Amino acid sequence: MECAFGITGKDYVLLCSDMAAGRSIIRMKSDENKIKALGPHLAMAYGGEPGDTNNFAEYVERNMRLYHIRNHYPLLPASASAWIRRTLAESIRSRNPYAVNLLLAGYDTTTSKPHLYWIDYLGTKAVVPYAAHGMGVYVSLSTMDKWWFNDMNKREGVEVLKKCIDEVQKRITVHFNFNCILIDKDGIHNINIDSQDPLAELESESKAASGDIVVDAPNSPLDVGVTA
Amino acid sequence: MNSVLTQLQPSAPHQNRLEEQDELDRTDAASWGSMAGFGNLDRTGGVQGMSIPRVSDPTSFLDMHTDNMSSNPDAKIKIAHGTTTLAFKFQGGVIVAVDSRATAGSYVASGTVKKVIEINKFLLGTMAGGAADCQYWETYLGMQCRLYELRNKERISVAAASKILSNIVYQYKGMGLSMGTMVCGWDKTGPCIFYVDSDGQRLKGDLFSVGSGSTFAYGVLDQGYRWDLTDEEAQELGRRSIIAAGHRDAYSGNTCNLYHVKENGWDFIGNYDVNELWYEYEGKKKAERESQNAAAAAGASPMAVEP
Amino acid sequence: MARRYDSRTTIFSPEGRLFQVEYAMEAISHAGTVLAVLSKEGIAMAAEKKVTGKLLDLSLAPGGEKMGGEGTEAWMGGGGEKIFLLNNNILAGLAGITSDANSLVNFARNSAQRHLFTYDEDIPVEMLVQRLCDMKQGYTQFGGLRPFGVALLYMGWDPIYGFQLYQSDPSGNYSGWKATCIGSNHSSATSLLKQDYKEDLTLEDAKALCLKVMSKTMDSTKLSSEKLEFATMTLHPTSKQPLSKIYRPSELDGLLRDLELGGTAEDSVGAMEGTGGGGGGNVAIST
Repeated sequence: MECAFGITGKDYVLLCSDMAAGRSIIRMKSDENKIKALGPHLAMAYGGEPGDTNNFAEYVERNMRLYHIRNHYPLLPASASAWIRRTLAESIRSRNPYAVNLLLAGYDTTTSKPHLYWIDYLGTKAVVPYAAHGMGVYVSLSTMDKWWFNDMNKREGVEVLKKCIDEVQKRITVHFNFNCILIDKDGIHNINIDSQDPLAELESESKAASGDIVVDAPNSPLDVGVTA
Repeated sequence: MNSVLTQLQPSAPHQNRLEEQDELDRTDAASWGSMAGFGNLDRTGGVQGMSIPRVSDPTSFLDMHTDNMSSNPDAKIKIAHGTTTLAFKFQGGVIVAVDSRATAGSYVASGTVKKVIEINKFLLGTMAGGAADCQYWETYLGMQCRLYELRNKERISVAAASKILSNIVYQYKGMGLSMGTMVCGWDKTGPCIFYVDSDGQRLKGDLFSVGSGSTFAYGVLDQGYRWDLTDEEAQELGRRSIIAAGHRDAYSGNTCNLYHVKENGWDFIGNYDVNELWYEYEGKKKAERESQNAAAAAGASPMAVEP
Repeated sequence: MARRYDSRTTIFSPEGRLFQVEYAMEAISHAGTVLAVLSKEGIAMAAEKKVTGKLLDLSLAPGGEKMGGEGTEAWMGGGGEKIFLLNNNILAGLAGITSDANSLVNFARNSAQRHLFTYDEDIPVEMLVQRLCDMKQGYTQFGGLRPFGVALLYMGWDPIYGFQLYQSDPSGNYSGWKATCIGSNHSSATSLLKQDYKEDLTLEDAKALCLKVMSKTMDSTKLSSEKLEFATMTLHPTSKQPLSKIYRPSELDGLLRDLELGGTAEDSVGAMEGTGGGGGGNVAIST
């Protein structure tokens, strides 16, 4: 009962996930953030076995942070994907495997290229231009096949994403709310996909800050910080 | 140097601790203060505190002998199940309301179960799923919260307390623990509720209901919920939702316990008989309906038909 | 007094020194010189071979005429003595105890492969340097062990920082350089490098500078492949991926002739009649 999308464009990658959380048929929450920022230019959308998901996501997050602290630069998307895949591949051969599927999106600052990886709990990794996990697979992969093209600009990418979400809302019996981010050279940005013009805020923001705004960890999944 | 090397070693694999050892027996200075372990995990990451069956695969062993997860209804050990619990945040704090019935299979084992566990003056935990599991681990959580206070000279946040609990139960994931609990309280951030279950899931939220009767409770709760409820309205909503579930769900009922968490800690509001209240509500509903009809009749509606 | 603190690497002397570590560094300053120069286009490294001689049979060893070359061929190059390929993107020049060096090279290659296994990328240069230095440091702290008598120059490329040149010593210290030198005469070589180094060197300039300084530091006036190893780290012109090259003896002689620093047959003959491998005691184990 979950749904996530990823779409790459010319110089950015979009990542989108539903926000439902609950037990069996009961939805206990419809505003749970299931996208985690793993670095300045890296994020993942995750789903799967309850409990495993958050635990694994936090494990990855902390390891990415540790790498960043040790080496003063973050792991590049390609190497991060390799690490995550191997972690899952080792996990499934352990006594207590993580059952977590994820989409990993990142922007490689050394080559200025967007990256998107489809990874499942078996440790399968695929490098893809666009992808879906969960319910989205059934209805919107074809949507992306039809409308996606190489080197889309941000507006075109968001349009494709909107079409996918539209299709899910139309054909899947479960209702979802969606949470969306965009990663480009400036870092990770939140996108309000429900608004009339999801990019307006982003564009005005980048104009005002002339490109040096970086969101390190946008809307952390659990707002648990205790402030004095 | 040996001790340095030992600390550098990778964490030891999970071990069964056969001889129960009192925590205070461990006189190693490193088990105190900032070097101490976290929750029931010692510094090496091993599990301490609860022993598990000494078989090669404890998971399937427990699965075979308990009726947990409905995988084996014929199992000899029937775990107490069936509950309605709820908690919600509103302008005046947190309301926590639960029923008091414990069932084992189709049998009502008790009608006076305390399903709200008073972790400390500011923290409450609710109990759904295995009664023993909840009672044991939430009491243990109370211990850890007290130790946290002693170490850090300030109260633990609800977020941290719930994380301790979820970390513990995640350690035992798949071994048959059955818990669905809400850790509720008031900390520096204000009123706070976390849902923690034995899957290891942990959710922050404004409103939760857990247990077999939760669907019925949600049905009343969701429709009556607003952030700006008054204290009385909120308490009534919590109570009314539990009564509704106690009436509909065979595995819930007997009485309702109601708590209200405020800035200075929680208050126990009262214990209410589900049946009595249900019929009181029914009576009120009927009376209201009648008075409405009477008012409508008195209003001399042109459509009214004279008897 | 100092004697009491000589034999233990792990014990400070009253003056706050670790004698064994200092002795290890001393051992290295007698070893064959290794120097390298960084440029925007790549890095050049030259190393002085100490074990030579008419009777030394190199026909089956790495470093024979058939060995060396670019890319994967470089794995087999390096004369087996001074210059090694640690990973696709990292070359190292070593000075010190040969057997210690072999052990470090093996460790480095293992580390690099483990990184490749985990991250599916070539290990970043500084990370490999750190791995080795962590190990070297450990040998100065834990009891009953002798420090590695090896200093290294690392030249490599990674996508984050591009071309890099590092140097590490037996204490486990490391530092990054534009041009540097280890081994015998390293201080005079370093001052020569300091004199002649210019920003914006081309790779050809760097190669020339390397060999020029080398010819001044080495005892013999004329250089030849007999007493020299040479390597470069560049980027492949089309794929833009790191390309390491360990020069074959004939290639190196060609380069030396172009630079008029030697590389002629007579120079080789002269070298062949030199001290000879194994003759000088320390020389045999110290390169």
